[in-house]
Amino acid sequence: MLEILIQGRGGQGAQTAGNLLARTFFAEGKFVQTFATYGGARRGTPVNSFLLVDDKPIRRRCSIERAGAILCFDDSLLPGLLSQFADRDTLVVVNSRRSPEAYESLGDYKIITIDGIGIAQKNGMGRIINSALLGAFAGALGQPSMAKLKQVVEETAPVKKPENLASCQEAYELTQEVFETRI
Amino acid sequence: MAGDSTPMLLSGNHAVAWGVRLARPHVIPVYPITPQTPILEKITEFHSAGEITAEVIAPESEHSAMSACITASLTGSRVFTATSSQGLLLMHELLHYAAGARAPIVMVNVNRTVASPWAFWPDQTDSLSQRDTGWVQLYTESPQESIDTVIQAFRIAEEIGMPVMVNHDAFYVSHAMESVEVPSQACVNDFLPEYSIPNMLDPDRGQSFGAPVDQATYNRVRREMGEALNNAFTACDSAHSAWMELTGRNYGVIEEYRTDGAELVLVTLGSMAGTAREAVDALREQGHSVGLVKVRLFRPFPNDQVIEALKGIANVIVLDRNYSPGLGGILHQEIKAALYGLQDGPKVHGLLAGVGGVNVTPAKIQELVLRYADNDPVVASIWVE
Repeated sequence: MLEILIQGRGGQGAQTAGNLLARTFFAEGKFVQTFATYGGARRGTPVNSFLLVDDKPIRRRCSIERAGAILCFDDSLLPGLLSQFADRDTLVVVNSRRSPEAYESLGDYKIITIDGIGIAQKNGMGRIINSALLGAFAGALGQPSMAKLKQVVEETAPVKKPENLASCQEAYELTQEVFETRI
Repeated sequence: MAGDSTPMLLSGNHAVAWGVRLARPHVIPVYPITPQTPILEKITEFHSAGEITAEVIAPESEHSAMSACITASLTGSRVFTATSSQGLLLMHELLHYAAGARAPIVMVNVNRTVASPWAFWPDQTDSLSQRDTGWVQLYTESPQESIDTVIQAFRIAEEIGMPVMVNHDAFYVSHAMESVEVPSQACVNDFLPEYSIPNMLDPDRGQSFGAPVDQATYNRVRREMGEALNNAFTACDSAHSAWMELTGRNYGVIEEYRTDGAELVLVTLGSMAGTAREAVDALREQGHSVGLVKVRLFRPFPNDQVIEALKGIANVIVLDRNYSPGLGGILHQEIKAALYGLQDGPKVHGLLAGVGGVNVTPAKIQELVLRYADNDPVVASIWVE
C-alpha cells in the first residue's frame, strides 16, 4: 500500500490536492481512500490530507504514521512534518524556492524542492499552486500517470483550465528528471 | 435492472446525501456543524438542481431542526436530518420526544468529540450518551455502509414507527473519499415502499399528540414504545435480506469476522472495525486464533446475537472510542451485561482505545491483543495509549 501525506495550511489547497490525486489513482483503477483532518476550521492552521492507494480494497481507518511520500505546501511546516511522518525512505516534495541542500540541517531525508509559486505565476495562476505541486509530485513519484492527472485537472479546475494544465505540466517535467535519475 | 449501480468516488458524508436523494424524503430540516456540514451542502446542491424535491428548512438551531422534524414526521412526511456532537446534544430533549411520539425520523450523526475542550476528532460519546432516548442506533464502518444504511434506515423506521439514528465516525468515514456503489433509483424504489403512517396529524381529523396522561397510561405507552423499538431486530433482518437480494451487500445486526475457532475476539463499533480486520488478519498469519465482532445495531442492543457469537470464547477485548466518566467504555459495559450469568462465559477486557480521536493503527490493536490476552480481566475499563 502506498501511503501519501499532503500537508499545508488551511486554505492552501492540501485537501483539494488529496482529492484530485485520489481521483487520478481511482481513474487508473486503483483502490483509494483519502481524508483530511484539521485542528480547527480556520485558515492558516495545518491541514493533513491522507491518501492510501492499493491494488485491493482498503479496510483500515486510521491516520498514517510513516508516509511513503509527502507533499508539503509550506516549508515552515517541514521540520515538524519530517520528524513526525518521515524516514530516510520517504520521498518528500516541498514547495520552496530554495535548493534541497537548504534543508540538510533537518536530517537525512530525500527532499525535492519545487518553486510552486514561481511556476504558478509564470503560467498566469497567481498564488494558486495546487496544479503545479500535483504535477511535481507525480513527476517525482513516477505515478499516477500524467495523462490521467491532466484529465482530472481539466475536469475539475473551475476556471483557467489551460493555465492549470500548463503549471501542472511544467512542474511535472522538472521533477520527472529527478525521478528518472533515481531509477 | 433494479440491481444496477454506479461506482462513484464519494466521501462518507456525500454518500449519505446520495442515500437521502434516493430515499426521496419530503422534509429536511437541518442545521450545519463540523464535520456534518458536507451532508447539508450536498443535499442543498441536489435541491437547487431539482434533484431533491423535499422542503429543505434551515432553522436557527438543532433544537428547532428536531422540533421541525417531529411535527413534519407526524403529518405523514418522510423526514431526514443530520447533525454531530454539540448539535446532537442540543437536540437531547427532543430526541426523547421524537421516540415517545413514535416519529419515524431518520437522522445521521457524525461521531465527534463533545466539548469541553473544543475539538473535531472522531469519538462516539456524543451518540452513545443518547442511548436511553428510544432511538434505534446503527453504526457504520465505511462510506459504502453509510449509503446502504441510510436507505435501510427509512425502511426500518417506517416499519416499526420509531426514529433511527445512523452514526459514522468523523473524518475516517465522514471525510474519507473512496469508491462507493451508488444504487439506482429503481433499486431503491423496489426496496423502500411509498411512505404512509396510520396516525398522522391532519386538520380534517380531530387528533393530537403528546396530551397529558395519567400514570397508568404513561406506563402503558412506554411499554408499547419499548416493544416497538424491539421490533427493530426483525425489521433490520428483513431490510438486510432484501438489500442483499438487490445489491449483494450483506449486513447483520452484528457481524462476525473470522470468529470460527477463535480463542480471542475483539468487539468494537464503527470505523475501528475496519482497522481491527487488518489486525485480525495479521494476528491469524502469526498463528494467533483471533476474530472480530462488529456491533452494527447498538439500540436495541442485540444481546442474543452477542451471546451466540461470544459463548465458548476464552477472551473478549472490547475497544471503546468513547468514555462515560465514572463508568468507562460504554460498549464494554453493554457486552459485560449481555454476557452476565452465562455458564463459562468469556473473560471480558475493556480498553479505552482512541478516545478523543487518538490514532489506533492495526499494529496498535495487534500489540493490545498480545498484551491483554493473558491478563486477568478487571471490572473497570483500562486507558491504553
